Amino acid sequence: MSELNEAEATQANVLVNSVVKNLCALAARAWAKHWIITFTAPTGVGKTTAVDYAQKTLPFDRQVIRCKQITTRYTLLQALALAPGEQWNTHGRNWMCAADLYDRALERIRQRPYLCVIDEADRLRLDCFEILRDFWDDAKLPILLVGNEVLTVKLNSQHERLFRRIRVRFEQRPLREADLRKVLEFMGYTIADDEFTLLWKLVGGSPGFAEALLENANEIAASQGVKRGIEALEGALRYFPTLRAAA
Amino acid sequence: MKHTVRRTLKDHLIRRALAAPPELAAELLRRGMLTSNERERFLCLLPNEGRELPALPLGPVRFATLLAQGDTVLAAWVVLRNLIRPDELVWLYRLLALHESNEKCRELTRIVERALEGRKGNVRTKRG
Repeated sequence: MSELNEAEATQANVLVNSVVKNLCALAARAWAKHWIITFTAPTGVGKTTAVDYAQKTLPFDRQVIRCKQITTRYTLLQALALAPGEQWNTHGRNWMCAADLYDRALERIRQRPYLCVIDEADRLRLDCFEILRDFWDDAKLPILLVGNEVLTVKLNSQHERLFRRIRVRFEQRPLREADLRKVLEFMGYTIADDEFTLLWKLVGGSPGFAEALLENANEIAASQGVKRGIEALEGALRYFPTLRAAA
Repeated sequence: MKHTVRRTLKDHLIRRALAAPPELAAELLRRGMLTSNERERFLCLLPNEGRELPALPLGPVRFATLLAQGDTVLAAWVVLRNLIRPDELVWLYRLLALHESNEKCRELTRIVERALEGRKGNVRTKRG
């Protein structure tokens, strides 16, 4: 599938709400100004969906790094030094040390700059943040760090030097009531008013939590051979002690 | 005679299964988590706890939700012993992200990530 078709398919699969719009706008600004920007939002709001959307639709070079692939400074350098699709095949005597990899990554950025988007950046190790700061200092690599509230706390308390270089710190608010309803309907859920009122009371603007609750309720209803209703939703609550406390 | 379970490494699975919600314990028994001896001991000890195992199997989302909520060591055991299906694994990963995180949860998340990638083994890479 061509990149254009892929972008069109992505647009059809994702509801472009405020989270997606804000993330794409910040990505464009980071790219244009060569800034480091942080995008923080509570878990379950749809950050990763927005990152996936941005990855497929942004009209400039970008590289998305997901922290589950990154466990050490070396793997971060590998991700930045290798071109898309390039295999890592230097082993044994030809093994590259971290400094060589850093130079290679730097060279790649200078030859063809790109926007570096890091999803779940709150999970990065301390030394990985230092590497990112070095890339910005040496090559003005535009970086968009995406994570939850922990990211701000972590940067603020442990990475003062990187923190001072961040130009925009954007905090995404949870979705509003109407937006949450739109997202859930887009995801294919038909929700009665009483169910939605309970959901909104419990999860606020977090479609991720709402989906987990609804799926649990669906299973409970299916096991009883009935259609999902408010009883099933209340039954699903016992699997979420933290939400039950909030209720 | 009252049966008791001693706090030994050998007994840790039985203790954890006894402490788990009954639906989860029943599902894990169904999936063969315990050996026949352990299963016998577990069923012997269950009335002491004043609990009964439900007969209905759990669906994938409820199974993953109970694993994500409960004992992280038990959940890690389930993942590493392949007692969980891929669709349940995906749900477990999503649900773990929704919970408040601590060191044990992060380690479990890493185990699940590696299982999703088709790998297992050492996951003790500390994150800063």
